[in-house]
Amino acid sequence: MLKRDLLLMANRNLWRRRARTILTCLGVLIGTTSIVVMLSLGIGLKQGMEQTMAQWGSLEIVRIHAGMQFDREGNPIGEEQRLNDGTVAEIKAIPGVVAVSPIYNVHSEATLGRKRGHISLVGMDIKAMAELEFTLAHGRLPKPEERFTVVAGYQVINNFMDERAMRGGMPFNPAAQDPTELLDRRIRLTMHNQADHEKKQTFNVYVVGILDEQNMERAWEVYGSIADIKRMRDFMLEGTEQQGNMLLPSPFPAARAMAVRPSASAGRGGRDDRRDDYDSILLRTNDLADTKRISAALREQGFNAWSIADDLEGIEHTSRIIQAILGGIGSITLFVAALGITNTMIMSIYERTREIGIIKVIGASFGDVRALFLTEASLIGLFGGMLGLGLSYGISAIVDRIGSSYMLQGMLMGSGEAVYISVIPPWLALFAVGFAVLIGLGSGLYPANRAIRLSPIVAMRNE
Amino acid sequence: MKPILQAADVLKKYRLGSQVVSVLNGITLGVFPGEIVAILGTSGCGKTTFLNIAAGLERPTGGDIVINGHNLNKISEQNMAAFRRRYIGFVFQLYNLIPSLTALENATLPLVFEGIPPAQREKRGRVLLQKMGLGDRLGHKPNELSGGQRQRVSLARAMINNPRIIFADEPTGNLDSRTTEEILRLLISSVREMKQTLLLVTHDLDVAAYGDRIVEMVDGSIVRERTVSVPLK
Ligand SMILES: Nc1ncnc2c1ncn2[C@@H]1O[C@H](COP(=O)(O)OP(=O)(O)OP(=O)(O)O)[C@@H](O)[C@H]1O
Ligand SMILES: [Mg+2]
Repeated sequence: MLKRDLLLMANRNLWRRRARTILTCLGVLIGTTSIVVMLSLGIGLKQGMEQTMAQWGSLEIVRIHAGMQFDREGNPIGEEQRLNDGTVAEIKAIPGVVAVSPIYNVHSEATLGRKRGHISLVGMDIKAMAELEFTLAHGRLPKPEERFTVVAGYQVINNFMDERAMRGGMPFNPAAQDPTELLDRRIRLTMHNQADHEKKQTFNVYVVGILDEQNMERAWEVYGSIADIKRMRDFMLEGTEQQGNMLLPSPFPAARAMAVRPSASAGRGGRDDRRDDYDSILLRTNDLADTKRISAALREQGFNAWSIADDLEGIEHTSRIIQAILGGIGSITLFVAALGITNTMIMSIYERTREIGIIKVIGASFGDVRALFLTEASLIGLFGGMLGLGLSYGISAIVDRIGSSYMLQGMLMGSGEAVYISVIPPWLALFAVGFAVLIGLGSGLYPANRAIRLSPIVAMRNE
Repeated sequence: MKPILQAADVLKKYRLGSQVVSVLNGITLGVFPGEIVAILGTSGCGKTTFLNIAAGLERPTGGDIVINGHNLNKISEQNMAAFRRRYIGFVFQLYNLIPSLTALENATLPLVFEGIPPAQREKRGRVLLQKMGLGDRLGHKPNELSGGQRQRVSLARAMINNPRIIFADEPTGNLDSRTTEEILRLLISSVREMKQTLLLVTHDLDVAAYGDRIVEMVDGSIVRERTVSVPLK
């Protein structure tokens, strides 16, 4: 039997019982639509999150903060870990770690020409900068042999305000500030000693580069060599009793700094030798998988390790659960639809018993009869699946239109990229239709075998 | 000459509950190529049962059917369809056309299962239906045709493959005497023309008289055979 004849015949048989076929298709349509829409929501959610996440920082960077990790009951996880040169060396030795840098953070009053403000400075290993994904929009990175050269995040300029202009009644417009204004300029830093606030010292840093907009985490900070920043820090902490990193909260994000409980280490001995402990350690891995593995391993050891990938993992997990639940609902619907197809095909066999007998007598083989019924069942799947896919695209478009007006302000500030809540990638479209056809095919197996087993004379005797 | 169809001691028993009904009690019959054999018998004597067995639609309880050297008992159910397509044409009392198909489509249906392309099918169907006097009824559905016209479509369908043997089970049982004559003449003339063999089952002596040979059946056994000296046309 020619494929063409098979398809024509199957199609014609289906439309002989138009209402029933349409109703059966409807079951597949609803099933397919629910699966596709639900999966598309999951995909859209995940994609939107990844898009947002990637803006917040690199997925390959792990940050280790000073202090301890605590579980939900408030018990410390593992031994308390110090962040010193030994730790840096240890971390460098972990397989999968590409680059490591210790970090000191300081804050300072700053002056840039007529503009004044507060800035946050980060001291790190200059040699590791390129490896730690410091990418530039303008200028260059500091060189190890230089002193007091820095790169600034592209928002740092917005820490400065022209007070004289403002006093003169000019409205201050941050958006009008150009990041390149900082380039090749000297920033004057005025630092106060923390034990004696009257004690001041001035440091000058020279901006040699401006970071690009890739990484929002680094947008507001100024990066220089660790030796230079340590000198500033040493001046600030001179004469203080407390451990340095406790006085200087990690600038980002605030919530994470709260998790660090100073009380855990307070009151123990050896404070002085802890003063030089790093505020944090930054490391880079090869890929997302390594990031997850290494940051989990570090946490296991008691390090307060965090990466955006960890947040992403949580989102992925939630998204997976949502997808599983939603997909499950769709699967049940499709399963019911499959029963509908089987039922329709069995009914059709009852109606067409005589006809099946006739075509067998005039030479239809087992294969022909099976192919005919399987094709009919698959066609129901195909029609239902395609209509379902069409409906899904419609629903997806509506969801996007309604949803994006809510989502845009909330999730992506200032980003020009559109956020799709429901995404139907080509593979999902193909999968949906293919799956619907497979459901049809599967549902047709039992009826087709029944049709084959019909004895032609018994079928024709059927009155 | 070797028979094209040889039935040897064919038995058929049905089990109805605890009772065993014997419908065919050892039928032995040879049909030669080109021959027209009429099987005559009263209702319920087992004619249809024998014909079905001879055409491979039903398995005998005992005995063998050999068609053109092939023992049907040795052909699997799977291959029987291809075998029937190749050797056998069937005409029924109740036409057994497919209601949703046109006359042309019904007549050419066996060619569909043979995998013959539509254009060729249509050409062959047209020619044959023309010969059956249905040249102007090609596009009609069965319920738009008279009984006699339906049986002509059914004849065309049986012959479209040019089979070696045609089995006709009371092909005129539902027709009036004039139409009966037309149909039988048509059937016999095309069988003769194509040098086919015909096994014709009937309870009507007048119909049986169209055969070269009349085989009389009573209660599942052949009781008498006679050659018709001057067959009706
Ligand atoms: N599947 C079956 N089960 C039980 N008995 C059967 C079956 N098929 C046929 N018979 C019996 O076999 C006998 C012969 O039936 P068959 O149809 O061959 O008769 P027939 O000679 O063709 O009669 P008619 O001229 O009325 O068509 C009948 O008594 C019938 O009841
Ligand atoms: Mg009969």
